[in-house]
Amino acid sequence: MSTGSLLAADLVIAVLAAAAWLGGGAASAARRRPLARGLAAVALLATLARAVTIAALARAGWWFAAEKVLIAAPLSLAAVAVAGPRLLRAPADIRSVAVPLLFAGYADSGALLVTVLHGYPASAGAGLLAVAGVVGATAVSWRLLGAPPSRTVSRAAVAVAVAALLTGTGLAAAPAAAPGVPHEHGPGDARTAGEPTRRVTLTAGTATVRVSGRDVAAWAFDGQVPGPELTATVGDVLEVKLRNRDIARGVTLHWHGYDVPNSQDGVPGVTQAAVLPGQEFVYRFRADQAGTYWYHTHAVSDVGVRMGLYGVLVVRPGPVTGVDVTVPVHTLAGLPLPAARTEPVAAGTPVRLRLVNTDSTTHRYALAGTPFRVAAIDGSDLHGPTPLVDTAVLIPAGGRYDLVFTAPATPVALFVDGRAAHSTGPVSTATGGWPVLDPLTYGAGSPVPWSRFDREFTLVLDRGLDLHGLLPRYAHTVNGAADPDIPPQVVRLGDIVKFTIVNRSQTVHPWHLHGHHVLVLSRNGQPATGSRLWLDSFDVRPGDVWEVAFQADNPGMWANHCHNLKHADAGMTLHLMYLGQRNR
Amino acid sequence: MRKLFVVVSALSLASFALQFVFAAVGAFTKPADDGAYALHSVNGMAVIPVLTLLTVLFAALAKAPGRLVGLAALPLGLVVVQALLAALADGSTDAAGASTPFGLTIAGLHAVNGIVAVHVVVNVLRGARQLSRPEQAATTPVPVREGEPA
Repeated sequence: MSTGSLLAADLVIAVLAAAAWLGGGAASAARRRPLARGLAAVALLATLARAVTIAALARAGWWFAAEKVLIAAPLSLAAVAVAGPRLLRAPADIRSVAVPLLFAGYADSGALLVTVLHGYPASAGAGLLAVAGVVGATAVSWRLLGAPPSRTVSRAAVAVAVAALLTGTGLAAAPAAAPGVPHEHGPGDARTAGEPTRRVTLTAGTATVRVSGRDVAAWAFDGQVPGPELTATVGDVLEVKLRNRDIARGVTLHWHGYDVPNSQDGVPGVTQAAVLPGQEFVYRFRADQAGTYWYHTHAVSDVGVRMGLYGVLVVRPGPVTGVDVTVPVHTLAGLPLPAARTEPVAAGTPVRLRLVNTDSTTHRYALAGTPFRVAAIDGSDLHGPTPLVDTAVLIPAGGRYDLVFTAPATPVALFVDGRAAHSTGPVSTATGGWPVLDPLTYGAGSPVPWSRFDREFTLVLDRGLDLHGLLPRYAHTVNGAADPDIPPQVVRLGDIVKFTIVNRSQTVHPWHLHGHHVLVLSRNGQPATGSRLWLDSFDVRPGDVWEVAFQADNPGMWANHCHNLKHADAGMTLHLMYLGQRNR
Repeated sequence: MRKLFVVVSALSLASFALQFVFAAVGAFTKPADDGAYALHSVNGMAVIPVLTLLTVLFAALAKAPGRLVGLAALPLGLVVVQALLAALADGSTDAAGASTPFGLTIAGLHAVNGIVAVHVVVNVLRGARQLSRPEQAATTPVPVREGEPA
């Protein structure tokens, strides 16, 4: 059973235990003896099952189990200890066990709320608030059920509840260690790249585009979705002038996966100000990294990219040989892009399909009708890729795969989530059941180039209540905090940096670090044995633990975020910064 | 207080009814993106819990019998379960993000739980109205069937 399924099962069992205790309490208050005992038995069984899931999660990693061991386990034990013996004593009036059963229900519910609202890191504050809630609810039930305890006991209960409430609130509200890191980014200088050899102007504006026979309101570069395909050859200096015609909330250009100098990275509020209507901004960088990339706005990025402010950037090592096609997949107003195309290719022609996922969720790509190799992922060539047949690839949000093959005499078709997106002729193959390529075991392996790591960071991804803003929100969190309250990660130029990324949540988080490519070391404890994978976008699935590393060789202040842009908006964004360096 | 109890539980029932309306709005909004269910989310995560808490509060202030107070509090638990079911159904997708039979089963339970919650709130309102009838309140303040006497 995968850790992701274990997390889900544990949650379901926790709900079951809490509901069964509460139901048992209600049944005994209504003097339904058999029902009360039956529900209590279910609760006991669920509690036992939960001991198993919690132990399994602790084995998978302390991050998954910390608050369950430290808060939920003691509360569940208290529940069993209080309710169990009274049930066994077989009281004459079943109503007398109502309060103990309700207490057990409150204890399990409190623990459940801790997991759901502020599970990581396990905090004394959250635990004490849960205790206060449990004692308070029990005291109220006691009064309502008309069986109040002695004066001493009720006073003690009130004292415990108030003390726990005050301490818990104090601990939860106490300011965390301030991010006290000096901000020292100076003005960017785009002029270091040299005289431009390729000049492009992109104008962002609202537009109506036609998709699958429907007129759709979009935000577009040069009135088209996707925006114009930018191409360069290694050695070019690319200059892109961005103009904003009427996107009121501003635009920028971020070169996704292309490691530009920090001042050209296009993150509003970090590397530049958003380009407002009527303004412009000039990006200039050297095309020295051959591969498939894409560009998109990073201002109000969730809405902006979804509405169509994106395009492809391809840097080729030399002139095109054979057929070289880009397939940037996107969902615009619920309609799939690009429109299906059929272009016959002469047998024997080398073909390169550059697959780009510009959506916020994973897509499944299947190439039918020919063996193929995955030549590159995220712009970096793979070493020793072997031919694949009837195998699908999963591309994370923001990721790119280059598939290469020699055109056969028979038709070939690329299916995206089962829809034919690009083909050389009619192909009717069911690709839904194909196995999926695991890039961590694909190609020829070579050892990790570093023997030590100068800095190690752990990023635990979860959901949690964020009370720091004007309105409370159920944020996507990193280490229990949400943007802008996540402390930046500080490195020095030349450091070898290791990230351990842990997903405690129930959803996939496609991770994306700006300005660098990370080398995959391992996933869920299994070392990557295939070709070195230098990624900029990778899916951290529920229950996954990824270890990746990179050399800090590109000074500046870099966004480091989930590329499900809705999640990034909802708090899952932090920054990597270099100490003692001005950005360039 | 008894009148207020009736008013608040009626409002609570109205918010539950609206929740079904908002679910339909989400289902039929084109294009179908996540924003389609914004009304459903806000109503479910904010309006309904607040009204339910107020119902419990006024039930207690109106000196309603414990059973009715418990019944008024039950939707709170059901709402938490409801949110968890939605999250699990959303999370139970295959690697490419498509729904799975397991996820859709959980999604079905989201609807069943919603129907149960409405049933509970209807009973709370019925109890509140019985409690507020002066002639009955004086003699038999017990709104719903009790077990054998204490």
